Amino acid sequence: MKRLFLLAFTLLTTSLVYAQKVDADLLRIKQRMDSVVKFTATVTLNLDVPFIQMPTKKALVSYTKGKRMQFTSKDFVMLPKRGLDFSLSEIFKYPFITVDRGTEKRNGRALKTLNVIPTDAKSDLVLVTLYMDTKAARIMESDINTRKDGSYSLLMQYNAAKNILPDYVEAAFAIEKLKIPFNFMGKDTKIDRKKMRGMDTKTGKIKMKMSDYKITLR
Amino acid sequence: MMKELLYAEFVKIVKQSKTYYALVAIAVIELLIFITAYYQGSTILDLLLNTLRQNFYFEGSLLNGNLILYIVLNSLWFNVPLILMIVTSGLLTDEHKDGTLQTVMLQAVNKWKFILAKYITAAIFTLMVIGFMMLSSFALAYAVFGSGDLVVYIGTLNFFEAKEAFNRICWAFASGSIAMIFYSTASITIAIFIKEAAKTWIASALFLIITNLLLKADFLPAGLNSFFFPKLIDTWQQLFNYKIDWQQIGLNNFMLLFYCFGFAALGIFAFQKKDIG
Repeated sequence: MKRLFLLAFTLLTTSLVYAQKVDADLLRIKQRMDSVVKFTATVTLNLDVPFIQMPTKKALVSYTKGKRMQFTSKDFVMLPKRGLDFSLSEIFKYPFITVDRGTEKRNGRALKTLNVIPTDAKSDLVLVTLYMDTKAARIMESDINTRKDGSYSLLMQYNAAKNILPDYVEAAFAIEKLKIPFNFMGKDTKIDRKKMRGMDTKTGKIKMKMSDYKITLR
Repeated sequence: MMKELLYAEFVKIVKQSKTYYALVAIAVIELLIFITAYYQGSTILDLLLNTLRQNFYFEGSLLNGNLILYIVLNSLWFNVPLILMIVTSGLLTDEHKDGTLQTVMLQAVNKWKFILAKYITAAIFTLMVIGFMMLSSFALAYAVFGSGDLVVYIGTLNFFEAKEAFNRICWAFASGSIAMIFYSTASITIAIFIKEAAKTWIASALFLIITNLLLKADFLPAGLNSFFFPKLIDTWQQLFNYKIDWQQIGLNNFMLLFYCFGFAALGIFAFQKKDIG
């Protein structure tokens, strides 16, 4: 009986501590995000990488809760491995704790800053910094550090206050310099070694503009 | 007179087996490109885009007809001009070898008109060969690999949508034709000076190699350097820069045509002065 009481006490205190560690505003945003069961949208992609020249591309994006986001396009499109998780399900997938970092002014707007630290080793995320608009109950920016895919940041914009999902997402990530075998170089391509050495790692951006959203809510 | 001379030159080109060997050689080059691309294309592209795979997923395929056509275009660097130079120089060296040149010169034929007809025939033949190459590779490339976006590496990794790629490839063939006419013209001029077929082929091949090597060398002042003919033969490749400098391409091709006329004028002058014997 004594042991049972001890176990029940431990479970209760652990869950209370855990509950205390998750920010209430974030839980509100998570709840709002959780209401999205599925959605489709047209994405206009603009790649901004120093050594890549690519025209604007269009793709159709479809998402169903619990599944990976799917992209289809008539053309060849390059999609970032990170930064496509508009619903932020990756953050909420495993247990986490949050640390309130106060308020920070970003793009002329005061945003609540929060560190999210996953507590499960299965999560690929190490540390996430979220910048939240608590009034509109949505995440505006995030800096994400992962175990396998390095760091990246997301900037989200919304056309209307009621919109749950962003209408514009800008994902910025570090990209290694391009290693091109000599056979693929144009005959008159000059190799600027000084420039190449300075190009070890660059920051790439992909700008995604969403339109024609069809969202199914719970 | 000129009409008859041109007609006679065309009859010679149609009748000689060398012409068909040249067409077969170009078809074999194309076929080899197609077979290599079919079996190794994906591996080659993986190698090219390996760095990008760390950050990106790719949706769609880049192994398509436009990429194959770009590879075919790259045979304009060496293979195609070499074949063209061998065939077109033969227009004159064969006449020396068979002794028909003396026979023709015994007729009431202007020497300069006779050699000019050879230059014109060589230019038209070159255009016909490039036309054949273009049509056959377009038909095969799109039939086997289909259309799609093109990726090329010229300083930056440039991506072009299928329609844009098609237009650029067509323009590149057109610009490449001028470079090929330049080589054909040069080969006849070389033939005027050397006369003998085998030696002319060796000299033509050497001319081609040196031109390709000089493309990368910069020992003339910057202003002159860009107008030196080896610097102009890559003009077709400038059509795959992301932003096309049409003015520069137009100027380069104009200069290349100027060199064609220059080489032809030199050849005509030398032929006029030379004794036939």
